[in-house]
This record gives sequence, structure tokens and C-alpha cells, in this order.
Amino acid sequence: MKAGKIADIIQRLGVILVYVVLWMPIVILVILSFSSHAIGLRWQGFTLQWYVQVLNTPKAMEALKNSLFVSTVATVISTIGGTLAAYGLYKYKFRGRSALRMSVLLPITIPYVVTAATLLIFFTQVIRIPMGYITIIIAHITFSAPLAVFIVLGRMARVDWTLEEASADLGADKLTTWRKVIVPVLLPAIMISAALIFPWSFNDFTITYFVAGVGTMTLPIYIFSLMQYCRTPVVINAISSVFVVLPIIGLLLVTFLQRKETT
Amino acid sequence: MENRQSIPCVELRNVVKRFPGVLAVDHVDLEIEQGKIFTLLGPSGCGKTTALRLVAGLETLDEGDILIDGKVMNDIPPYRRNCSTVFQSLALFPHMTVEGNIAYGLERRKTPNHEIRKGVGEMLELVGLEGMEKRRPSQLSGGQRQRVAVARSLVLKPRVLLLDEPLAALDRKLRKEMQVELKRIQGEVGITFLYVTHDQKEALAISDTIAVMRAGKLEQAGAPDEIYNTPRTKFIADFMGASNILSGKVIATGDGKLQLETDSGLKVIALHNEGTGNNEITGISVHPELIELLPSDAGLEGDNRFRGRVIEMIYQGDFIETKITLSQTGELLTAHFPSRLEMVTRLSPGEEVLVHWSPKSSNTLLA
Repeated sequence: MKAGKIADIIQRLGVILVYVVLWMPIVILVILSFSSHAIGLRWQGFTLQWYVQVLNTPKAMEALKNSLFVSTVATVISTIGGTLAAYGLYKYKFRGRSALRMSVLLPITIPYVVTAATLLIFFTQVIRIPMGYITIIIAHITFSAPLAVFIVLGRMARVDWTLEEASADLGADKLTTWRKVIVPVLLPAIMISAALIFPWSFNDFTITYFVAGVGTMTLPIYIFSLMQYCRTPVVINAISSVFVVLPIIGLLLVTFLQRKETT
Repeated sequence: MENRQSIPCVELRNVVKRFPGVLAVDHVDLEIEQGKIFTLLGPSGCGKTTALRLVAGLETLDEGDILIDGKVMNDIPPYRRNCSTVFQSLALFPHMTVEGNIAYGLERRKTPNHEIRKGVGEMLELVGLEGMEKRRPSQLSGGQRQRVAVARSLVLKPRVLLLDEPLAALDRKLRKEMQVELKRIQGEVGITFLYVTHDQKEALAISDTIAVMRAGKLEQAGAPDEIYNTPRTKFIADFMGASNILSGKVIATGDGKLQLETDSGLKVIALHNEGTGNNEITGISVHPELIELLPSDAGLEGDNRFRGRVIEMIYQGDFIETKITLSQTGELLTAHFPSRLEMVTRLSPGEEVLVHWSPKSSNTLLA
């Protein structure tokens, strides 16, 4: 009885510890973004001035807009492409299919710096296109599409594929079956991958930094340049809070969709 | 139109389907009468589902012809075949309501809205799901889902409804209810059903005609009582529960009876059927419920009376499954003795018994 109680307490402490480690720095960051301290390192009283300042810095807003644009395009293409790829990997039998299926997450395990350098060589030496938003978007698709493939494949394994036959049997052609049956059935998984890919793409610094070229600015790159060259990097806390809020929205969306999927 | 009755609704002519390494359907010929329930019965892997999928057009056949209403269907895609399938998993669209599921086929045919509504309404009434139209499949019970699947197919008014083990997922009680329900629905709409099952009781309960398949081949087709009472082969006899199978040769005929000596030397009597030659007969089968228990002083005079010893008794409710070894030759028989008989309840393993079955209960086997 007593031992059980102790185990229970240890378990609870463990959970608390994990969440403290996970969230403490972020919570502090968000709190300090409201601090009136000159360089945002201590609490000195509540203010919204940094947020106002960010809103009044055209460069910051520009970077935010760029980031939203890049991430939206990358998310849409990765999710659609990933879904189609997953369908192909699931449905069609061909040589090397299982190897391909297993290696789908491999790109994620490669260090970002390596991926980034490889992409840089690819863009400058192989296909020779100028650095800019196009290269950033391609790069983001490269590392986020596998995630969509992985998530949608997982869902496909639990789909009753007789649905496809039933649809055909009831007179639907392939396209109609996709539109009316397959996509709706896979939609929760598709949305979950989008919800995970978007913040991932939005937050990426390393790869973007390599392939951005001159004069292209996403939010993470802007923050990095602030930290490097700005004398009073006080707005960083405020901007960074954006990165906290976005994934939380994404996370809530995922939870919501998962709940919907299980009911 | 008037000769429509004489044309079989579905006809398979010498149909062959191969999968890598297996002959799934092996030169099958069959005819399905208009407006009847025709069941393909057999153990799993016997090719019955493949045969159904060939009729549906979900598989392409390698040899032979499939005809629906006298027209060759070999190269016609599933949705132009005028047949509709109820799948084993039911395959209801989970993201659509009951209404959406039933309307799906009509929508694909570009049926006007008011007709779709009318058709869906009629189907809901037919299958007894009025008021459920806004529910999703996940909010329905197993039996209700079953009804939706049937309605979704029937709303298209197909010539044949193909049902692939549709009741496999239901529990025993519900399955029985749904068998009755399917038969009622079939009677009301008059559409031909091609029904696939591995459950011989279900086949007996639901069918007008049963065709038993084994390893891709059609072994016997006939009315349920014919298949049950006079299985032609050991395989079917065993499959239909006539578990007493005695292999042997005919040694004498006369008086409308024949005498058969089993491999172990037991002499049994069966009725002699003029149509079959004596050397075609390879044995007999007897249903366990046709074996009777006689008082031990009844004597051995008469046909098919044997002494034996009870070795096992398994209580099954209305009957007691009793295993008996015959004293004379050591053959193991299974008898289902009615548990209401006092003589039976007094029985216990190890006891000597006298058993009997009538010559007409001996069904002669040809293979």
C-alpha cells in the first residue's frame, strides 16, 4: 500500500518534471516579452510596447508575411504530394516498395546542416536556379513531405479498402471515388500532417538559411539577424512568442482532429 | 419479356479464374434462376467469393463466360453489370449518413434529387430504418449497418444482389434474425440474390438453391433439403454435418435395398436407387440425429442394428452428442439422442448400447 503510494508520487513528479523542462523556457520567454526591461532579460513591469514595436517594424512584418507564405505553400504541396505518394506506396506493388516505405522517414534523420548543404549544391550546381522563395519552398517540401507520407500511410493501414470497391460497384469512376470517398476518409490524417508540417516549416532556420540567398527574409532568419547585428534585441521575445503560439494552435487542431477521428 | 423466366438470371459457363499458384475457380458451370436466393457454400478458400467477385466484375475471368439475363458480361465493368454487391465488411462510407450512403449510387447515375429522396425513403421503409437517415454508420448497431448496406445496393434496383458473407460479423442471435430479414426483403423486392457463406446452417435457412464448392469446383447443387439429406460426396456429407461416413463396397442388391460392406467389415443396408451403378457407390453417410437408441433387449434382428459402447457424451441442450464405438468392428459413430428421452438421460459413458438406423437414413455416397 505504502510502496504503491510512493510509486504514485514518483510518477506524478516525473510527469511534472518533464513538463517543467519542456515548457519553462518557453513560458519565461513569453512572460519576458511583456516585461518593460530594456533588453528583456528581467521582469520590470507589464508592457505591450515590444509588440507595438514589432508591428511598427516593416521589416519584421515583411518577414512574418514571407514566412506565412512560404509555410502555407510548402504545407499545401507537401500534404497533397505526400498523400498521393502514400497512396502509391500503399496500393501499387512494385520492386523495392517495402524498402521505399521503410526509408520514407530517413530524410528526417539526416542532420539539417547536411540536408541544407546538399540542397545548396543541388540548387547552385545541378539545377541552377537563383536562390529565393522558390528554393526555400522546394527545400521545405523536401523535409516535410516525408512526414505527410508517413502519417497518411499509417492511416491507410487502418482504412477498409473495400470502400473503394464499393464505390466503384455503385457506379463511381476513379476520380469520383477519390473525391467522395478516399479523400474524406483520409482527411483527418491529411489535416494532422498539415497541422504538423506548417509549424515545422514555419520554424525552420537551418535549411532556410542555407538556401535563402540574398535579400530573402523569413521570420527565423530575421530573428537571427536581429540577435547578430541589432544592438537592442528587445523585440526578439515578442517575435519569438509567435513561434510559441503557432505550434500551440497546430497542436490543438491535431488533438481536435484526432478526437473527431476516433468518434 | 415473356421468356425472361426461362433465361437464367445469372449463368456461369465453364468459368476459370487463376491466381498465382492457385486455380481459384475451376471450370464452374451454374445457372441461377430469376428471383431466387442462390447460395454458394463452402469452406474458406474454396473459391466461392472469387466466383461472386467474377459475377460482380471485380475480378476478370480467365476462361469461360458469365451471363446476366442471357447477355455475356465478360468485359463489362462492374457498374454497368446491373448487379450490386454487399461486401463482407459492408464497406459503408463512414463519413456519410445513412441517407448519404443509400443515395450514393443514385447520385452517381445523375438521378434527379426528388427521385433520390423517394428512392432513399422507400429503401429506409423496406429495411425498417425510418428515422435513422441522419445517423452515421458508427452510430448504428451491427444489424442496422447490415440493413443500410443492403438498402444501398437495392436502391439501384439491380437484377442480382451479390452478398459476400454479409452476416459474418454478427453474433449468432442477430445473424438468425438477419437471415429471416434478408429472406423477407428478397421476397418483397423479388430480386435474385447470389449469396456466399461458409455457414451451412445459414445456407440451409436462407437458400432456394445451394451449390457446394470445394477447391474451386462445384460439387453439388440442389435444394437445401436435397443437399442436407442426400449429399453426393463424403466432403459434402461431412460439411453438412452427416459426420458418420462409412466407406465401403456394395456386395448385394435386392428388394429395393442394397447391402454394403464397409472397409472394416461392417454390413450396412441402404435403399437401392435404380439410377446409380453399384460400383459407383463408395460408401454411405448417416446424420447423427437419424441414429436411434434401442432398448438393449431389442435384439439384433433387422437392418442396421449394432451393439456398441458409449465412450463420450456431450450435453448440447436439446440433444446429447454421444460417441459410440461399435463392438463388432470398432467403428466410431456419433449420434444425437434427444435429451428429453428417459432412456437417454439414464445413459452414461462405458455402457453397452444397441443402436439402429433405418435403411432410408443411409445416404449413398459417390465420391
